[in-house]
Order: sequence, then structure tokens, then C-alpha cells
Amino acid sequence: MQAAQRGDRDAFKTLFERYHRRAYALAFGVVRHQDDALDVVQDAFIKAHKYLDRFEGNSSFYTWLYRIVMNLAIDHLRKHRKVKPVELDETRLENDGDDPLLPRILGGNPGRALQDKQLRARIDQALDQLSENHRSVLVMRELEGLSYEEMAQAMSCSKGTIMSRLFHARRNMQKRLLDLIDNPSAELVDDLLGKRADPEADEAAAASQDEAPAKRVPARSRS
Amino acid sequence: MTERRISRPLPRTTSDVELMEHADGELAEAEVAIRLDREPDARAKVDAVRELGELVRGHLELSADAVHDARFAAMWRRIDSEIEVPASGLWARVTGWFDRHRGHVVTGVVSAGAVAALALILRPGGPDGAGVGRGPISVQPVAMRAAPEIDALDTPGGSSTVINLDDEDGHTTVIWVSPADIVEGI
Repeated sequence: MQAAQRGDRDAFKTLFERYHRRAYALAFGVVRHQDDALDVVQDAFIKAHKYLDRFEGNSSFYTWLYRIVMNLAIDHLRKHRKVKPVELDETRLENDGDDPLLPRILGGNPGRALQDKQLRARIDQALDQLSENHRSVLVMRELEGLSYEEMAQAMSCSKGTIMSRLFHARRNMQKRLLDLIDNPSAELVDDLLGKRADPEADEAAAASQDEAPAKRVPARSRS
Repeated sequence: MTERRISRPLPRTTSDVELMEHADGELAEAEVAIRLDREPDARAKVDAVRELGELVRGHLELSADAVHDARFAAMWRRIDSEIEVPASGLWARVTGWFDRHRGHVVTGVVSAGAVAALALILRPGGPDGAGVGRGPISVQPVAMRAAPEIDALDTPGGSSTVINLDDEDGHTTVIWVSPADIVEGI
């Protein structure tokens, strides 16, 4: 980091290589389009380089970078917004008992569940259907593990608003995945039970009767 | 990221919002844990919130892993060209030039020093001084427009380089001093 601050381009490239995919995951989670997310990440690194001298080292480089990524992603959404979003649930949490969180889980093995293409497509759809603010809060929380207070600072709103957005985002995600949870496809059941280790290798597995090794689901640290 | 826990009295039945706060580590663990032991449905909701988080995180990370390396390689090339801002102003030009030619400048100074030393040793005349000062030297005054040149400096604890530049503004001498404790690379 210090070398990058002194203008060492190789050092800055090392930072890029270390964090570009993580930054992309964050940007993609918010803007929901591959090319747009790549643009956001590119702009974020250029901006980070421009202001490297302002980085004081009180937090990690990535903590500093994700704030830039997040700001650019939100700016991108605002610039390309066609319809003004309407947030109905910004501060209302009192009546949530009428529409509660769901106590349903996918067998407690999300890693295996994510091997199912249908489930992943459904997660994509569900994320797309969330409002920008709900999605941004959900992504910040689940991908980066930010506290409510940190998210409130990042989004310049109150902690209560963050809690409301997060609650409704999660509840809406659950609703949209509900039919998959209640009526899982045969493939998803197999994935959950570990019977189908690699869906893409089904044909080869059927031909050889050999079970392919399970795919690794990434588990990056949140700090 | 730092998680902040807030301790406060809970209602008789734990609300879904509080369950979410508990799942996110924003509520004191002990108080809610007692409630969760009595409320199986609440426990399942906390587990569901955490599982949804794993699904979202895993899905986004897999999406990032699916982007071909070539896309990021192309991105770096664009970033690299973008951050190479053309220098403006005399000082920026000098520093840019020095960064590009640092090795050559040092080599040049050393070579010039060696040539000067050789010239001193090999000049006409013996070691006893014979041949030196054999006759009056005719010195002709010459009008010099150029400023006196400094070719090198002795800078203890660092290195120095002198750069003489001639441009439309005239003659400029830049003395570049680098402390010895600069470490390159990470």
C-alpha cells in the first residue's frame, strides 16, 4: 500500500489483482449487470489511485475501496434510473408481524443448494426485483458483513432505515424463493442431499456411474 | 467488519426484527438465546436469515468467479493507461524524466567522474609537476551567457543528481536529492 502511494505501479497492480473480483461481486450485486459492474470496478480503481495520498491507513485498503465501489455503484443506478423508485417500507417496522420472516431453510446447506442452476437463476431474479436501496443494503450486509451503523453511514440514512430496508429485503427474497423451498425440483433435492455433486457433469456422471467431486463454494473472509 | 451489540430489554415474544438483529450480531446474545430455546419457530427464523445470507453471498461470489480473467486483464490495461497522466509543468516533467532515466543519470555521473579523474592523471607533465606551468598562459576573457554548471553534489545520507535543462525559458538547474532510506516495492 505504501509503495502504491509512492507511485509504484506494480504495487498498485498487486492491489488490483488482490481485490478486483471481490470488488466486482459487490458492484454486480448492486448494479446487476456484468458490463456495468465492470465499469464500476474500473472507475473505482482509477479513483482509488487518484486519491491514494488521502488514504491514511486507518482501515484496510479494501474497506476504503469498497466504499468507493459502493458509492459509484449507487451513483450508477441513479444516473441510469428510468423510473423513480418508491420505497413503501422505509421506516415502518411496527406491522411486520403481519408479514413475518419465514422459518424455512434449504436443509442448512446453502453451499450444495448453490450448485442448482434453477436456484441461482431464482436468486438473480429475486435480487433484480428488489428496490435499489433494499438490494444495496442486503448486498453490503451479506457480502461485506457491515454493521447497521456502518451501512447507515455508507448510505447517509438512519440506522432504523437500514434495519427496515434489510428486513424487507430479506423477507422479499424469502418470498421469491419460497416455492423453490416448498416445492424443490428433483435436481435441487439431489443437490441438497449431496446426491448430485456437479449438475454440469450429470451426463458424464450418468455414463460413467462415477460421482464427480463437489464444487467448492467460495467462503471469503468479511474483513 | 465490527459488529455492535446493543443490550436492551426484550418483549415477551421476540419480534422478527429482533430475530434479524440477533442473526446479524446486533443484539446481546445471551438475552435472545434464552428466548430462542423456548421458541423453536424463532430459532428456525434466525437460521433462515443466516442461510439466506449464505445463499446471497455465495451466489455473488460465484458470479464474480465466472467472469473470465481476460475481462479483468483488459480492465487493468485500461486502468494502467488511465493512471499514466501526462506530466505538466516543469517540475512534473523533470520528475517524470528522472523516474524514467534514474539509472542512466547515475551511470552518467559516475562515468563523467571517471573520465575527469583519468584526464587529471593522464594530462601532460610528470608526477613531479614538470611540464606544468612552463610558461605564461594567455587567458582571453569570454562572455558566458550560461549559468555556472553544477554537475554533482556530495549529499551524505542520500544521493543527489543535478539536471541542467535548456528550454525556451532559458537555463534551469535542478538538484534532485533522494534520502537513502527509500525502499521500492512492497
